[in-house]
Amino acid sequence: MALIEAKGVHVRFGDRVVLEEVDMSVLEKECHGIMGPNGAGKTTFFNVLTGRAKPTRGELFLDGENVAGLPPHRIARKGVARSFQIMTLFDEYTARDNVMVALPQFRDRGFDMRRAAAGDSHFKSEAEKVLADVGLADKADIRAKELPYGDRRALEIAVALAQKPRVLCLDEPTSGLGTDGVQRLLGLAQKLKGKLTMIVIEHDMSFLFSLADRISVLHWGQVVARGTPLQLQENPWVKRSNLGKFS
Amino acid sequence: MTEPLIVLDKLKKVYTRGHFSRVPTFTLEADLTIDEPAIVGVVGPNGAGKTTLFEMMTGSNEPTGGKVIVAGTDIHRVKYRERDRLAIHYHQSYQVRRFRKVVPSFMLASSPSKKPMVHLFDEPQFNPQDGYIGFMLDFFRKLRAEGRLVFVCLHPTASYHLEILSEIAERFLLVSNGGVTPHATFKSLIGDERAKTYLGPEMIRVAGTLA
Repeated sequence: MALIEAKGVHVRFGDRVVLEEVDMSVLEKECHGIMGPNGAGKTTFFNVLTGRAKPTRGELFLDGENVAGLPPHRIARKGVARSFQIMTLFDEYTARDNVMVALPQFRDRGFDMRRAAAGDSHFKSEAEKVLADVGLADKADIRAKELPYGDRRALEIAVALAQKPRVLCLDEPTSGLGTDGVQRLLGLAQKLKGKLTMIVIEHDMSFLFSLADRISVLHWGQVVARGTPLQLQENPWVKRSNLGKFS
Repeated sequence: MTEPLIVLDKLKKVYTRGHFSRVPTFTLEADLTIDEPAIVGVVGPNGAGKTTLFEMMTGSNEPTGGKVIVAGTDIHRVKYRERDRLAIHYHQSYQVRRFRKVVPSFMLASSPSKKPMVHLFDEPQFNPQDGYIGFMLDFFRKLRAEGRLVFVCLHPTASYHLEILSEIAERFLLVSNGGVTPHATFKSLIGDERAKTYLGPEMIRVAGTLA
């Protein structure tokens, strides 16, 4: 059974229809790519998935439970973590602190002063493990704002991973990255692939074609095409475009 | 198939200027029927009335005269918020459902259909570099295979626009001089003198190699 199942998701803002009737089914541990031109509704679909936008109609099932319209924190508790197109880090804090506050155990502790006084060594080592997973092991003490852009992107993913999600949603993870940065992020994403369910919005097609198990192409708020990267690359118009030039 | 997918019954739109002595500034007339699912290419110069035609067909622009019958239902007699269950107008890359309210909704009928049977794509942005064209064309074919009627309005400015038209469309409408002329083939479309004037010699030459 699919872990995520969207059925006839429709979103409109006033007169403007952003998602027409989106059906999408993502399997457990699948890496599902979403691509499409600007304004196609990709980010809105993510917002529905993570509770930031309420669908006008339609259903969204997470592991068989309809979660459409639940607030973001409720959906996050159910194991859906996301990154944003625009980075959202605590700039003044170190990489370790950024990850630490996202740890579920840390949040559960709340504001218990005695335990805080006992030290955060356990959380620290937890956070460092996550940082090591994204290749930031030696940068734990650097403040987020002092990290280079590529590292900040990786840190953002670390923050999402710290929540131990079942589903990781990445919104244009390569935006603003140079060729090296993209390669590095691709390596990181490939390492995560198969360990958890991933949904990745991306403009960089070569990135998506070399990462995703399946891709849904959104346009006019609808899924206009869906398939494996190989199936999509078979399209004659894709072959003659820049997209077709990637292996 | 019981009802034709679309009937434009002596459809007419007149835009006027002035309040007391109204002077017509623009007139568009159409009278045609399309029975079967198809992909229809729509071309015509800027200002010829392509968008006005699409707006009337989707129920967002009240005609001055005549009717638009979508799958047996007069779309202008359907509740505003249910008109998109009959026909959808896609602007370049987004969709807007804005209806000028002429009579209160309660006086209008419900749409008998849930799924829109007519889809109109108004100058979709085709960029040959990114390959989305292929997915868009497949989407048009999918809608048609589901029994729907698809209109694709294009303003050919590059040779690949003509390529798209000849590849995807099975029949054509030329919107020009206030009228709408059906053409059964790409060849007959580009043989039309008005199409020749509008497209220009270079595009007609390219079109000739595709027909």
